[in-house]
Amino acid sequence: MCNETISRRGVYPARVLLNEAICREHYRLRLKLAVFPPSRAGQFVQLQCRPLTPPPDEIVTDWPDDRPPSFTQPELIGAEPLLRRPLSLAGRQDEPDGARLEILYRAIGAGTHWLAGVKSGETLSVLGPLGNSLPIIENKPIAALVGGGVGIPPMLYLAGALRQAGKNVTAFCGSRTKDLLPLSAGPAPADPHGKPSLCAAEFAAADTPTVLATDDGSLGVRGFVTEAFAGWLDARKDAPEALVVYSCGPEAMMRRVGEVCIARGVECYLSLERHMACGMGTCQSCVVKIRDETPRGWSYKLCCTDGPTFAAKDVIWE
Amino acid sequence: MESATHDPHTDVDLSVSLAGVALSNPLMTASGTCGYADEYADFVDLRELGAFVTKSITVSPRAGNEYPRVVETRAGMLNAIGLANVGLEAFLSEKVPKLEKLGLPVFVNIAGSTVEEYLAVAEAMERVDIVRGCELNISCPNVKAGGIQFGVDPDAVESVTARVKNACRTKKLIVKLSPNVSDITATAAAAVAGGADALSLINTFTAMAVDIETARPILANRTGGLSGPAIRPIAVYMVHRVYTQVARQAGVPIIGMGGIQYARDAVEFLLAGATGLAVGTALFVDPGCIVEIKRGLTNYLIQHGYTSIREIIGTLRME
Repeated sequence: MCNETISRRGVYPARVLLNEAICREHYRLRLKLAVFPPSRAGQFVQLQCRPLTPPPDEIVTDWPDDRPPSFTQPELIGAEPLLRRPLSLAGRQDEPDGARLEILYRAIGAGTHWLAGVKSGETLSVLGPLGNSLPIIENKPIAALVGGGVGIPPMLYLAGALRQAGKNVTAFCGSRTKDLLPLSAGPAPADPHGKPSLCAAEFAAADTPTVLATDDGSLGVRGFVTEAFAGWLDARKDAPEALVVYSCGPEAMMRRVGEVCIARGVECYLSLERHMACGMGTCQSCVVKIRDETPRGWSYKLCCTDGPTFAAKDVIWE
Repeated sequence: MESATHDPHTDVDLSVSLAGVALSNPLMTASGTCGYADEYADFVDLRELGAFVTKSITVSPRAGNEYPRVVETRAGMLNAIGLANVGLEAFLSEKVPKLEKLGLPVFVNIAGSTVEEYLAVAEAMERVDIVRGCELNISCPNVKAGGIQFGVDPDAVESVTARVKNACRTKKLIVKLSPNVSDITATAAAAVAGGADALSLINTFTAMAVDIETARPILANRTGGLSGPAIRPIAVYMVHRVYTQVARQAGVPIIGMGGIQYARDAVEFLLAGATGLAVGTALFVDPGCIVEIKRGLTNYLIQHGYTSIREIIGTLRME
């Protein structure tokens, strides 16, 4: 496969290396693709959440010559969804025989429940990589990542990329309760007062100290992760210009992270989530109101192609 | 998915003539599902198509409806985009150059809330060589004044068709019909009486999905248009009715659409009487499906001993 081919976004077959439950409702999916274009933290893929091959009666391409096709049996469509499911990349490793993609997802609807039943060795269809990326900014040596629940995966991919770029990185991860946090225990315990430690194995692997917060206090700090983050930010002595903050998670959480950063003059990027059909910029469904110079003061941008990452200062919340 | 290399089957002729416009094969894009063509450049070679149909163009740019705009339903989806588009001026300056590079016959879907707005877009298309015709959208269910007011009353269909046809001096006029009527043959006959060169059917069904927790419609627009495999049997039925009762006698070709995903679906529409075949929702899942559909159509024709796709159009046996 020549480089020109793999630099294009496209539809690629992927072998499932692993698909395991990591905590309540959350799964880790590891895929191996013989070819996949370069990707960056913050990008996503559209995963087909149904069998790769349509039932034989639906295709007219590969009938055996000795069996005339029959049209007496109309196609039957199962409970699997028609549309693909957009899922953030949680990491990527390039190997001599292809790329390994890591995806963490929450089984929450028809598509992701189907996905949860997929076994190692099966093949899935991956469309991507899609979207812009979380920017790594040269003159910002200190980065904070704030992830909530299933918004944590892109923060994992980003932690690795930021550490490679030599940044000082601290992660803040939250969920309602311990069982819903899609992270494994790290070498160090989680601090109940919000002191960063290597308490999450996935971030520890990227040498990133982490603060965990749960609404019910079942793990780490009791309360919202946004408040643990704001407390950490206020205790820093660095100039605001030295810092950059990235966040992905529930909208109320990202909105608060944005407000905290804007009030302190700290640059902040949010990875937004929207319902989308195609992910390629054609269906026009995943719109986000973004501030601009037009007379109205905003325009609709597409989460799939203009985003999913937007500067917090530009996002207009509904 | 890549399938095994086959004999290219160059002896099977997939070409059709759509109201005098020669297409290398019947496959087209359904308006609104393929943007302005450049969006899919990485995913599929659109030159595999027989023709390209743009998303709806209105005189002024439109931001479209509030979010959420789509929701998936069983074997289909509802959309209420609200005719979001760049507007006529930006279409001409930014999008036409990209469409010119495609090297395909292009049909521009035109929308408006007044006849004058349709006329303004149609007049502008007279000056664009690559555009072979206009597709009159009088069937958008998602905008209060998006043409549907013209599309459900046969008299209004005939009059708007006749006026826009008058503006299409060198271009073909396709009229896209709404299924949200009690008798689609009446609006089809009206479009033909108004001078339509071809008919597109069907547009989406007005539909609603409900969030049972909040007891509210899911879409911000409350209602949306249902598309996808769920609507295909109704679309095939409507194409067959229009073909047998209106279009065949009038010699007006039909572009059939509604849930085409696989080659077998395309064959159904051809047998029912469609000359053109538009693929829509399936492109959202995999733009490469058009290549698979073409390959499947070729195989079907070979297996059944045909040499041209034109031999099977409208050959559904009802005895």
